[in-house]
Amino acid sequence: MRITFTMEGGIAYFPGLSRPVTIDSSELLKQEASELERLVEAARFFDQPATTGPPARGAADYYQYTITVEVRGRQHTVRVTDLVEDAGLQVLLRYLRAKAKALRAAARTPPSPEHPDKPE
Amino acid sequence: MRHMMKDDPTTTVGSTVNGLARLFSQPRSRLYCILPPHMLESIAQNGTPQQRSRALQTLAIDHTLRALRVAPSSAAPATRRRPGMLMLAEGQKRRTISDARHDQNLPGSVVRAEGAPPTGDPAVDEAFDGLGATYDLFWDAYDRNSIDDEGMPMDATVHFGQDYNNAFWNGERMVFGDGDGELFNRFTISIDVMGHELTHGVTEDEAQLVYFFQPGALNESMSDVFGSLVKQYMLKQRADQADWLIGVGLFTAKVNGVALRSMKAPGTAYDDPVLGKDPQPAHMITLSIPSGTTAAYTLIQASPIMPSTLLPHGWADTLGRRRAVSGTRCCAIRD
Ligand SMILES: [Zn+2]
Repeated sequence: MRITFTMEGGIAYFPGLSRPVTIDSSELLKQEASELERLVEAARFFDQPATTGPPARGAADYYQYTITVEVRGRQHTVRVTDLVEDAGLQVLLRYLRAKAKALRAAARTPPSPEHPDKPE
Repeated sequence: MRHMMKDDPTTTVGSTVNGLARLFSQPRSRLYCILPPHMLESIAQNGTPQQRSRALQTLAIDHTLRALRVAPSSAAPATRRRPGMLMLAEGQKRRTISDARHDQNLPGSVVRAEGAPPTGDPAVDEAFDGLGATYDLFWDAYDRNSIDDEGMPMDATVHFGQDYNNAFWNGERMVFGDGDGELFNRFTISIDVMGHELTHGVTEDEAQLVYFFQPGALNESMSDVFGSLVKQYMLKQRADQADWLIGVGLFTAKVNGVALRSMKAPGTAYDDPVLGKDPQPAHMITLSIPSGTTAAYTLIQASPIMPSTLLPHGWADTLGRRRAVSGTRCCAIRD
C-alpha cells in the first residue's frame, strides 16, 4: 500500500511542510504496516467521497489535506480539512500527520552546515 | 453511512471544487471558496494567458457554481443592525474558552468563562487574555463591540488535535493547537496570532472577502495587520516601535527563525532546513508575474506586505489606523 499525503493552508505557508509525503507500507515494520492497513480500512477510505464539501463560510487558516491511497491496483483520493467530522478519517489523519512529522524531523539530522550551533 | 444523492448540493459543490482544484492547482490554493463570476471574468480579461484560459474554462464548465454560490452574506441587506448607545456604552466582553482535549471535535468542553479566575493552564489563560486584548483594541480604538460590532460572544477552543501545528478560524470560533514541540510551541503563545484569527471574523462580518486569490490575500493581510495592532496596543507601542512580526515565540529553539512572517522585512522571518525559507515577496509590484503556476500563491503570500509600505504615511497612533487600512484596500485593488 502506498499513501501520498499533502497539507496545504494553515496560518502560514511553509515550503518545507507543503511537500507531499509518501508512505510505502512495504518500507514499514510489519506491525506498523498492518496498523496502517487497519486505519485505512476503519476509515472506509475507498467509500469516502472525494471531498467533504466547503467548510463554514468565513472559515480561514484551516489545513486542507489530500490523501491518496493506492492498494492492490485500486487508487482513491480524498480531500478533507481540519473540520472533518468523520472519526475514521480523523484517526487516519492523526497517523499521517505524526508520520509526516517523523519524516520531516529526519531532515534536521545531520545538522545542516549552514546552521552550526551558535557560539556562547 | 454517508449517502451521496445525485442532486445533493454538497456533492455538486464537492465535484465543482475538485474541478477548481485541478484548474487552479497551486501550492497554497484555497479550494473550498467559491469564485464569484465577476472575479473569473476579471481574470479572464486581465490575467496572464495561462490564468485567462483557466478562468475561461472555469466559467464555461461551471454554471452550477454560480447557482450554488453560498450567498447568505453577500445577499444580506446593506443595512446592518447597530447597537444602540446603551449597548455600545457597555462594551462588555463575553469570552468562553473550551478544551478539545487533543481531540478534533469542536467546540470541546468549557473550561473558562467570563468572570472566572485563571485556570493555571497556559493555553486556556493565554487564549482568554488574547481574546480580551483583541476585544480591547477593537473597542477602544474603533468603538467596535466585538467581532460583529453587536457584542458577539468570543469563543475559542484550545488543545485541538494532537501535535497540531496551527491556529484557525472555523467561521465561529478560534481554534488553537498545542504545536508538535518539534517545530512549534502552543499557538496561544503569540498574541498577534490570536488577533489574526479573530480579525478573520471581523473581515467576514464586514467584507465577506472570498478566501481565494487577491481577496483571500487581502483577508490574510487584514488579519496580520490587526493581529500586530492588538499586540502593539497591548504593549502601548507606536507603529515605528513595533516589530511587525506575526507569531513571535511560536517556533521551538530547534527552528532557525523568529516568526511566521515579517511585515517590516518580508522574506526574513525564517530559513530552516525543515520549514524551508520564508517565501514572502516584498512588494506588490513583484507580483506582476507574467506566467507560471505560482501566481496565485505568490499573490496570497505577498499581500500582507502592503501595510509596511504604508508605515511612513501615518500609522503613528491607533486612531489613525482605520484610514491607513482603507488605504491598504485601495492599494490592493489598484494593484
Ligand atoms: Zn489567516
